[in-house]
Amino acid sequence: MNFNLLRDPQDRRTFVERCARAAFGLSIVPFFTGAATAAERGAGFGKAKRIIMIHLDGGLSHIDSFDPKEGASKGPGTPVSTKAGYQITSFLPETAKIADKITVIRSMSAKVGVHENARYLMRTGFEKRGTIVHPTLGAWGQHYLGASSKTLPSSVCVNQNSAHGNGFFPATYSPLPILDPDGGLANSKTTVPEEKAAKRQQLLAELDSSFSKRVPDENVRAYNDFYDTTMQLMKSSDLAAFDLTAEKAELRESYGRNKFGQGCLLARRLVENGVRFVEVHSGGWDMHKELEDGMEDRGGEFDRAFAALVSDLDSRGLLDSTLVAVTTEFGRKPNFEGNGRGHHPLAFSTVLAGGGAKRGFVYGSSDAKGYKAQDNPTTPGDFHATIAWAAGMPIEKEVVAPSGRPFTVGNKGKPAMGVFA
Amino acid sequence: MNRLLSTLIATAAATAVPLTLTAAPGGKNRRRALLNPPAGPAVAPAPAPKAPTAPVADVSSAWHTWSDNQGRKIEAAFCSLQGAVCTVQTKDGQTFRLNVEMLVPADKAFAAAYAAKLNENRFKDAYVKQAAFQIDHLIGTTLVAKGQKFNAPASDEQFVRRIYLDTVGRVPTAGEAAAFLKEPAADKRAKLIDALLNSPGYTMHMYNWLADTFRVKDEFGKGAKAYLFQDWLKDQLAADRPWDALVKEMLTADGKLCENGAAGFLLRDAQMPLDGVSNMLTTFLGANVACAQCHDHPLAQWTQRDFYQMAAFFGATDGYDQAAYGRARKLGKNGAAGLTKQQVQGIAGVNIFRLADTGKQDLSYPKDYKYDDVKPGSTVAPHLISWSATDTKLPAYQINTTNPTQLRDEFARWMTNPDNPRFATNIANRTWKKVFGLAVQEPVSDLDALDKASNPQLLEHLTTIMKAAKFDLRQFQRVLFNSQTYQRTASLTPDLEKGPYLFPGPLLRRMTAEQTWDSILILASGPEVDNALLRRGDEMQLFSLPGNAMTAENFKTVIQRAKDAGVEMGGYGGGKKGGGPNPKKLMAAYEGTKPQQRHGLLLARASELPQPAPESHFLRLFGQSDRLVADSNTTDGSVPQALMMMNGPIGQLISDPNSAALVAAAAGKSRDEQIDSLYLSFFARKPTISERSTAVKSLENGLAVSDVAWTLLNSREFLFVQ
Repeated sequence: MNFNLLRDPQDRRTFVERCARAAFGLSIVPFFTGAATAAERGAGFGKAKRIIMIHLDGGLSHIDSFDPKEGASKGPGTPVSTKAGYQITSFLPETAKIADKITVIRSMSAKVGVHENARYLMRTGFEKRGTIVHPTLGAWGQHYLGASSKTLPSSVCVNQNSAHGNGFFPATYSPLPILDPDGGLANSKTTVPEEKAAKRQQLLAELDSSFSKRVPDENVRAYNDFYDTTMQLMKSSDLAAFDLTAEKAELRESYGRNKFGQGCLLARRLVENGVRFVEVHSGGWDMHKELEDGMEDRGGEFDRAFAALVSDLDSRGLLDSTLVAVTTEFGRKPNFEGNGRGHHPLAFSTVLAGGGAKRGFVYGSSDAKGYKAQDNPTTPGDFHATIAWAAGMPIEKEVVAPSGRPFTVGNKGKPAMGVFA
Repeated sequence: MNRLLSTLIATAAATAVPLTLTAAPGGKNRRRALLNPPAGPAVAPAPAPKAPTAPVADVSSAWHTWSDNQGRKIEAAFCSLQGAVCTVQTKDGQTFRLNVEMLVPADKAFAAAYAAKLNENRFKDAYVKQAAFQIDHLIGTTLVAKGQKFNAPASDEQFVRRIYLDTVGRVPTAGEAAAFLKEPAADKRAKLIDALLNSPGYTMHMYNWLADTFRVKDEFGKGAKAYLFQDWLKDQLAADRPWDALVKEMLTADGKLCENGAAGFLLRDAQMPLDGVSNMLTTFLGANVACAQCHDHPLAQWTQRDFYQMAAFFGATDGYDQAAYGRARKLGKNGAAGLTKQQVQGIAGVNIFRLADTGKQDLSYPKDYKYDDVKPGSTVAPHLISWSATDTKLPAYQINTTNPTQLRDEFARWMTNPDNPRFATNIANRTWKKVFGLAVQEPVSDLDALDKASNPQLLEHLTTIMKAAKFDLRQFQRVLFNSQTYQRTASLTPDLEKGPYLFPGPLLRRMTAEQTWDSILILASGPEVDNALLRRGDEMQLFSLPGNAMTAENFKTVIQRAKDAGVEMGGYGGGKKGGGPNPKKLMAAYEGTKPQQRHGLLLARASELPQPAPESHFLRLFGQSDRLVADSNTTDGSVPQALMMMNGPIGQLISDPNSAALVAAAAGKSRDEQIDSLYLSFFARKPTISERSTAVKSLENGLAVSDVAWTLLNSREFLFVQ
């Protein structure tokens, strides 16, 4: 359905103003001025200045990755002991080498086992509803902390369209999608001489103003904003952040020469240059069949890129202030169906690296079969609240959406305080 | 298995005439020989299928002996006429696509006359008027009760642009707009609606709409190409197949992905049959069951048991030949007898996706089923859901569930029955949304309680019209377009939290991705793009492995068969993630007109491109769905969209002096006339005095007419439908 219809033009306008037009290129005045109360401060609060969120779309099998099991649940990979003292499977040899830099959460638990709805839940922290769209952490961050750069967007979405990432926030909070990391930001240079380009823009502004006046619609206004921000970006020198050719060939290899690997490298470049929040998507994790093949292929790409990203950030001294979160839609069943596993939201694993999270740590556990979360069950809302806490967002503060309904980042979830160093 | 169009089955059965073919079916080359024009000037667009002026053809029967201008003959029944392509079907069920420009004049006239006969409006004009009036009345009453008013009537300029976009999925050309605007006849709107609903663009536009709902994809996984499903769906729309018959055929189809196009719908979810059932119930009945797949619905009435009882109707059907896939995989791995992995995958895929009855309903409740009404793990007994206590008394519910091989047929009979409690209402509500921008009951995926509709009487009336139209969506839409309500100015985006939208007019909308792309094509290369039809499914049938035996010999036979027919293996592009289409291979698959290539863009309409378009394609940037989830096209803006319009090949395409809009403008004798022409091309209206003078002034200030075209392309007025 057209979610835009669900917003109120009048309230939306005041809402936009109240947000101090914190869209990139418009203003960098934050809505949340950082006057956090004592209760809001604590371990890990505000350590993560940058966030890279990796989404493994389709549902990562926890048992075949970060939560290996013995017995009937055991998968085709063998459990491997890491130097951090915990085990992961043999499908993740590179990750094993950096196991001492990351926190594995083995007690994720949710109730949604349908792809679209689970992806929505893990991307927003909220269950999907027919009457509202919830924002991603990038949009929440832009709301509370202001725009992270004068020219670059505050949120970027790599390998996937922005897909309503702004939620009920203005469309200008929408993440900038980069569908092909190698191609960078497509069409960012004008093809006509500068003087002509300026005249065209002038004419466009003159001719189009009468339409915007005649049709004072919020969606039309959102389009006007997109054109404005686009113009700002085109004039900026920060565009080089999108150019992967500036990286050494050797480093590019280490991430893996595929869309996901290069996407992770692009994420590092972007956060280095002022983008606060980058989502990187990897598809093909819905391993109902041929799980072993899938873990070798998709798993291999992920393993290499994730390990390279964490090492790269660490060697640049950025890991302690950059949070890399690995998430997925749900886990997969302890029992095999044929040579794959079905959807299983009751227990699954996620990872946090850097940004104040402990190094070489396992948080929570699932039961012996990998069927249910056991110690420290963590909901998707808790997971989002944890990241928001690390980013320094006021997780208990309510935002009133244009429709008048109150929401908090992480949907009143409790941060998993145990993960913070 | 049934690829026959239902309207023709009766005709075929009643005809005893033996059929003789001069062009034997089977090979692609021979089929295409009848179809493709000899080298020479491009085929002129076919006339709109109106009654012929020349010889009066006897159209009492669809059967006809077709002759082309080289003396070749084929006896076959008329199916449909789209642009220059006439689809016919021989008695044995083979379909042939004939280029009407190559037919002898009498046969060309027959095709046009028969098409006109088929397109004869099922509804009499008087009924349309009366049914449309009732819509206006029901809305008017509600508006008055809430102290609201109808919007002002739309101007001819607003109407002509909107009706083109809503029927044929693109803006009118300057010529088309001008012709309508200067037409004095009082009933010119009704006439234009009829003409557009009967033109080739209608099929394309409807296809885009259904492709989003049906999640049409080129590849279903494991290298399995689903082209035949796409061709089949287009054929149904071109032949104006009623919705109930179309849905019924999809639900009861048997056979492989490479054999039976109609099987494609169920095969889309062959690997996840429960998701398939959930999608199907939502798409065709508006039953909000997705949650009940895993547990009792927290808010709605559906229980997990309801869901499983419905899924059991598909529990004796298998869509994915798991064992055959395993054998094929080994064959590819070994590199046995010189077969590449790619060859094995491509051929195996379209064979392992196949709908077959297993003879046994073996769906069982999950082992972790947590309610005590049935035993976890026990076999499910098929049982129909109902919405009210009296539903089960309806004739639709009188079905027989004893024969496992008939379960799907019985289910389809119930679902598509006019007295099914939701089937007609669901498609009426969805079609209304397509026309007005918002459904009478939102969301369309939840019709559990019909009293939640914004106007329940209106929804009931629409259901009545849908049944009276016998599920003919063209006739149904004809009524909506002829209503006063549709022909009013568009409303700004309403706030649904403050109360339901009561339809004082249609909603202001951004064009869909497909409408935007198709409109740009018209501006660039003119209306002949409506005649370039992509057809990739015919040759798929060559890849059917006899007996589904995954042996090297069998694969080689099939490869040789394809080779003999001149068919190359492999995709047409779009299959590789993020990759662009391979224009050369794609180009060979177009019938009618060949699309042009300019500025690195293949100028074929959205429905005639890889499905969905590659991720970085214009269509995807503008919100075409990735086809993973039903109904997920979006109309949101983004920075990359603005960049694409300003700096990308689209901007260059439009400001190219060869673009149709600029060619039309160049005919203007003065700067004023040139600007007027551009405004007609982009907005179907003349500029205001101040707009004209601003634009003319810019021409005196160093900009060219092509820069003004670039400006209008980048204006918000172009993207929005008023």
